[in-house]
Amino acid sequence: MNMLGLIFADEHDADVNELTAKRTFAAVPFGARYRIIDFFISNMTNSGIRNIGVVATTKYESLMGHVRYGGEWDLHRRKSGLSVLPPFSFSGGEVRYENVLEALQANIYYIKQATEPYVLFTCCNAIGNIDYADMLDYHIKSGARFTCLCTKNPRNKKDGVPTTEYKLDADNRITDIIIREEVTPDAYLGVNAYIMGREDLLELLEDSVEHELVSLRKDILVPMLKDSKVMAYVTDETLLFIDTISSYLESNLDLLDADIRKELFGQELRPIITRAGNSSPAFYGEDSDAANSMIAAGSTIEGTVRNSIIFRGVHIKKGAVVENCVINQDCTIGEGAVLNYAVLDKNVVIHDKRLLSGYITHPFYVKKGSVI
Amino acid sequence: MLLAGGQGSRLAPLTENVAKPAVPFGGRYRIIDFSLSNCVNSGIDTVGVLTQYQPLELNDYLGTGDPWDLDLNYGGLHVLPPYQAAKGGDWFKGTANAIYQNKKFISNYDPDYIVVLSGDHIYKMNYDIMLQEHIDNGADCTIAVMDVPLEEASRFGIMSTDETGRITEFAEKPAHPKSTLASMGVYVFSTDKLFKYLEEDEQNPDSENDFGKNVIPLMLAGGEKLHAYLYKGYWRDVGTLSSYWSANMDTLGDDPVLWLNDDGWRIYYRHDFQYPTYLGEHASLHNCNCAAGNEIDGQVCDSVLGSNITIEEGAVVKDCVIMNNVVIEKGASVEYAIIDRDVRICAGAKVGGDKEQTELTVIAAGTTVEK
Repeated sequence: MNMLGLIFADEHDADVNELTAKRTFAAVPFGARYRIIDFFISNMTNSGIRNIGVVATTKYESLMGHVRYGGEWDLHRRKSGLSVLPPFSFSGGEVRYENVLEALQANIYYIKQATEPYVLFTCCNAIGNIDYADMLDYHIKSGARFTCLCTKNPRNKKDGVPTTEYKLDADNRITDIIIREEVTPDAYLGVNAYIMGREDLLELLEDSVEHELVSLRKDILVPMLKDSKVMAYVTDETLLFIDTISSYLESNLDLLDADIRKELFGQELRPIITRAGNSSPAFYGEDSDAANSMIAAGSTIEGTVRNSIIFRGVHIKKGAVVENCVINQDCTIGEGAVLNYAVLDKNVVIHDKRLLSGYITHPFYVKKGSVI
Repeated sequence: MLLAGGQGSRLAPLTENVAKPAVPFGGRYRIIDFSLSNCVNSGIDTVGVLTQYQPLELNDYLGTGDPWDLDLNYGGLHVLPPYQAAKGGDWFKGTANAIYQNKKFISNYDPDYIVVLSGDHIYKMNYDIMLQEHIDNGADCTIAVMDVPLEEASRFGIMSTDETGRITEFAEKPAHPKSTLASMGVYVFSTDKLFKYLEEDEQNPDSENDFGKNVIPLMLAGGEKLHAYLYKGYWRDVGTLSSYWSANMDTLGDDPVLWLNDDGWRIYYRHDFQYPTYLGEHASLHNCNCAAGNEIDGQVCDSVLGSNITIEEGAVVKDCVIMNNVVIEKGASVEYAIIDRDVRICAGAKVGGDKEQTELTVIAAGTTVEK
């Protein structure tokens, strides 16, 4: 594979401040045992990418602790492999970067020292099982200068957060880029994932520094549309958006759908890998009553669980009822507690007989380490 | 030094293609994980694993030793197979001969003490406490023992001790046991004494080169100081299908006798990457252990489930150990059985029966059971 992969770990076009209070966006837990970044690294390695940089600007402890040297993805190599790129990796003193263009500019040196002729760079807005090798094929065959990943079926994309909408001609060449806060039905929505020639990108970046350009979309992509071939790669894969706390809940609960589960986790030779814990198998007690739920190893289920995503090490005690919830790692739900549409961050303790209820549009969020 | 070369023929068909230490256990583990995790949890960072019978899967599983943090530049995990040398080569003739043939490996690290273990027992034990007792007693060899019921004593190596715990007599599988202290196959040796007696044992052409049968009696006869270390925790020799089944069941219950989720004594294993288990609309699980990657829509109780298992709607599973990659189709019933890997139980098929009334059923790897 002749492509360098760059992942921007921070949130772009998303509003999930609750989940990212203590961690960068890419480190947000998802799907009973993963973190969001697992899908991006796995997609890259499954596509043959062997050189991956993860750009993180703040709150990256849990991210670094999770990916480490990328051993789980066989990226702990002598040559290339995985590098986490914190701010000021190549210089010091400037203001830290806020958007994709600034993140690229700050890591020009990293892109320069790579040898791959192409660069894939992506934010973590939407989760899917994407074949980037196919996207690169498309980029090369279509003779594009710039290729943008997009979808017509964005699941759980919410109004109120910026949305990138592409207008396409008959050949899927992008003719216009519109940013709006509402989701237009049937529109092609971008997910901030792009492929470009490395040399070309470097020239663009150096030029953007000299001209103090600040936005990839506004200052580079839009002006390029007229004279250069900017192509849309429209994926058929399901893309689960995580841009608000309610879309976080919905995208998690989407994993209870057999087809989505199969698309995401059941694709041959395209497994989603995560950092191995060392959990024992999940234990279901004599009185447990769990159905239509995804339940990770290391958990103890003694109560009732319906339509929920249960992470590792969770203990649901006798008589507790958990419905339509995402319960993150190592939470304890006390006896007789009732939870409906709740999102519990890690290490939350719910005492016996507590009642917590939100709604699908307004989940009851409980922050990391809380005791209720 | 972890002895992992045994065939485990009484566990057939589970051991037809894999060495006994590599047989899956408890949903996520292999039998050898227990001894290996005991080693690292006891602070032992250099482990030789002696392999001989069907080593392919075992070797793959051990790899560089990374699941146990034994992928070290100095020390770590070493797989030690039989080998050819200038004067010819030989299979490991017995447990003692296996260690004898790897004296060079031991000498490279020049340890004062050696722990000799068996890779096919299920238990959680801190060898460091035993070693400390060995040192405090000034012993040449310390043998871990447990108190077994008298009627079972003749299945084991039985120790008689004086009031200080010093072993006065050792009998391998005696018809009329004089004591109930049974050897667990866990030995601590002072290296110089071990080497001396291994050498002596090698010189005897009639010896079976076995620790229990030959080396320990030889040391006793030589007047060496052998001590018994009384272990009171959980220990099972999963040498037979029924003991293998029971030990799996020991991981179940609200307060299991073999607690796997013990943060103070983790059992480490090599991961296969599976997504979390999905329980369908009709699923019901009671008193079960269930690993990852399963799609369960049937009824399961009192069972241990591995990974990548499908149990369809209406299927009933009770009192079973089910290994990886098994499909149990609609309406099938499986009771009191061990289901090895890659088995399909077709719709409506019936396997096994009530555990009070039938024998344990074992379905070998790769089998399809038709209705």
